[in-house]
Amino acid sequence: MASVSLTNVVKAFGAFKVVHGVDLDITDGEFVVLLGPSGCGKTTTLRMVAGLEDVSGGEICIAGEVINDRPPKDRKIAMVFQNYALYPHMTVRQNMEFALKPQKLSKAEVDAKIAGVAGMLGLDALLQRKPAQLSGGQRQRVAMARAMVRTPEVFLFDEPLSNLDAKLRTQVRMEIAKLHKQLGTTVIYVTHDQVEAMTLADKIVIMKDGYIEQIGSPEEVFAHPKNLFVATFIGSPSMNLFRMTVERGDKGPVLSSAAFTIAAPVDKSGKLTPGQAVTLGIRPSDVRLARAGEPGAIEARVEVVEYLGVEALVDLRVGTQEFIAQIPAGERPAPDETVKVVFNQAGLHLFDSESGQAL
Amino acid sequence: MGYVNRRNRTIAGVFLLPTVAVLFLTTIYPMLYALYLSFRNYDLAKPFIPRIFVGLANFQEVLTSGPFMHSMWITFKLMAVTLTFQFVIGVGLALLVTQRLPGMAAIRTLLLIPMMISPVIVGLVWLFIYFPELGYLNYFIGLIGINPIPWITSTQWALTAIAIADIWQWTPFVMMGTAAALQSLSPEPYEAALIDGNSRIDVFLYVTLPQLKPVLISLLFLRAIDAFKIYDIIFVLTKGGPGDATETIALYIYRQSFTFWRMGVGAAASFVSLIIISVLITLFFKSMQKSAVAR
Ligand SMILES: Nc1ncnc2c1ncn2[C@@H]1O[C@H](COP(=O)(O)OP(=O)(O)OP(=O)(O)O)[C@@H](O)[C@H]1O
Ligand SMILES: [Mg+2]
Repeated sequence: MASVSLTNVVKAFGAFKVVHGVDLDITDGEFVVLLGPSGCGKTTTLRMVAGLEDVSGGEICIAGEVINDRPPKDRKIAMVFQNYALYPHMTVRQNMEFALKPQKLSKAEVDAKIAGVAGMLGLDALLQRKPAQLSGGQRQRVAMARAMVRTPEVFLFDEPLSNLDAKLRTQVRMEIAKLHKQLGTTVIYVTHDQVEAMTLADKIVIMKDGYIEQIGSPEEVFAHPKNLFVATFIGSPSMNLFRMTVERGDKGPVLSSAAFTIAAPVDKSGKLTPGQAVTLGIRPSDVRLARAGEPGAIEARVEVVEYLGVEALVDLRVGTQEFIAQIPAGERPAPDETVKVVFNQAGLHLFDSESGQAL
Repeated sequence: MGYVNRRNRTIAGVFLLPTVAVLFLTTIYPMLYALYLSFRNYDLAKPFIPRIFVGLANFQEVLTSGPFMHSMWITFKLMAVTLTFQFVIGVGLALLVTQRLPGMAAIRTLLLIPMMISPVIVGLVWLFIYFPELGYLNYFIGLIGINPIPWITSTQWALTAIAIADIWQWTPFVMMGTAAALQSLSPEPYEAALIDGNSRIDVFLYVTLPQLKPVLISLLFLRAIDAFKIYDIIFVLTKGGPGDATETIALYIYRQSFTFWRMGVGAAASFVSLIIISVLITLFFKSMQKSAVAR
C-alpha cells in the first residue's frame, strides 16, 4: 500500500499539450476515480503514473519517492487494461504465472498465490482455460487476478468495465468495491461513467480538456459542484440551468428572467449585485409539484412525461425555457396540462454566468 | 435443383468451356502426357523410335539408383540450411524494422529489394560476386588477407555459395511476413509485461513467438515448397555442378530430360517429386488446422 501524489504534472505529445499541470494527492488505501468526458486526458494521466508514457513536466511520487524516471516494473503498480490485455495463447493459470515470473518465487509460493487470488475471484474452475474460452466478465476477472496476484502497492484501472453489458457491469462493479474493502490497496480508476465513479470512489477527480475541474468525495461533487461543468456532468438526468439576472426585491435580491422570478437563496444573497448575470441550477429531483396556494410557485406547461416505474421525468416549459422535473410516478401530470412547480431551496445552485464558477 | 436449373447449368458450362480448355491444354494434358511418358522408354535424341512400355522400370531407376537420391539429399540439405538462416535472420530483421525508430520505413523498403528481383537476375548478380578471379567477393576478402576461394567451381564451396545467394534473396520475404504479423499484434499485452517486469527474452519467447506461430508455419511451408523446386539460381551459377555437387531434384529432372534426353526417367522423377510435395502440402494444412483449433 502506498500514497501517490502528482505535482503540476504536464503531458505534451509534441507541441500538443493534453494534460495541463495536474495536482492530486492520493492517500494510502484510497480509491480515487478519474472521471471526465472522452479525450480529457484520463488515460494519459494514468499511463504516466504507470510509466507507459513519459512525464513532460512535474513530478509523480509513489510512497513518497519521485518515480518519474523509474521503469514501470519498479513502481510497485499493477494495471488492468480496458481490453484486458491477456496473453491469448496462455491459460488463465499461465497468465498469472507469467506475471509472477519476474519475482522469481518458488513453485509452491506461486501456486499458493494463484490459489489465493483464484479463490477470491472465483476462478478456480477456469484456471486451465484460455482467454478465448471465457466470457467477457470472466476475462475481466482474470485481468484483475493477474494484477492482484503480484500484490502491488497501487492498482491502476483503465475503464475496466466498458466492454461489459450493463448488468454484468453492475455486478463486477460491486465485486471491485468488495475487493478494495478486503485488500485496502490504493486504487486509481479511470472511467467516463459517473455511476461507476459515484459508487466506487472515496474521491472523484473530475477532468476536462486536460485540467482538473474539481476534486471531492461523491457527496461533495454532487451537492457542491464548483462550476457549471461539474454541475451538469454529475447527476442524471443532468441539472436544469436557467439564465437569470439579479434584481432588487422587497425582501433582498431576486433572480428574474423572462419566464419567472424567484427569491435568491438566502445564503448567497450577500454575493449578488443587482444587474449581475447568473446561472441558476436545480437538479430535476429538486423540482416538485406545488401544493395548492403555495407561494412562489411557477406555472409551467407539461410537454412530455416519461414514466420510469417509481418515478417519472416530466419535461416542462415556461415561455421558451425548458426543464425537467423528477417526481414520484403517482403524482405525474398528463401531457399538455398546466402545472405549478416549486424549487427546493436547498437544491438551488448559483453560478456566475461569465466565469461559470459557483457563487 | 433449386435456382440453378438444368438450362442454367448448360449455359454455365458453355461459359466455363474456354477456361477448362486452357487449363486442360496447359496443365492436365501435359501432366497426363508426363504420366504416359513415365512408363515408356522415350529417347528425345531418337524421336522416331517407338516408345516402348517399360512398366515401372523408370520409377525403379529413379528410386534405386544413386543420382536421384543424391539430388534429393542435396535438395533437403540446401532447404534445411537456407530456411534456417532465412528464418533466424528474417525474424530478427522483422523485430528490428518494426521498432519505432527514425528511418526504419526506408530501411525496410531497401531490405525488400532482393525479393523483388527475378531469380535469374539474382543468379547473374551473384555470378559477378563469386567470379573466381575477377569477382567482388574474392577481391574484398583478399583485402583482409584471405586467399581467393573457388566459390562456384569447387565441390566444397558451390552449395554454400548457392545457399548464400538464396538466403540473400528470400530472407526479405520472411522478414516482410513476420513484420506484418508483428504489427498486427495488440500492444496491450506488451504493456502488461512491461509493468509486470518480464524480461525481453521472456516476452519474445512466451508472448511474441507463440502469437507468431501460425504465420511462421505458413511462411515456412511457402518457403519449403519453393526451396523444394529451386532451379533458376543454381542453373545460372553452377548448372548443378561441379559434378553433381549442386544437383537438386529440379536439376536432376532437367538433366535427365534435356541433357541425357531420357524423357521417361525425367517424367518418373517428376512424379516422385510431385508426390513428395503433395505430402508436404497435406502436412501443412493438417498443422494449420491443428493450430486453428488450438486457438
Ligand atoms: N500517443 C498520442 N499522440 C498524440 N495525442 C494523443 C496520444 N494519446 C492521446 N492523445 C490525445 O490526448 C488527449 C487525451 O487522451 P486520453 O486517451 O488521455 O483521453 P481519455 O480521457 O482517456 O479519453 P477516453 O475516455 O476516450 O478514453 C486526446 O485529445 C488524445 O487525442
Ligand atoms: Mg481513455
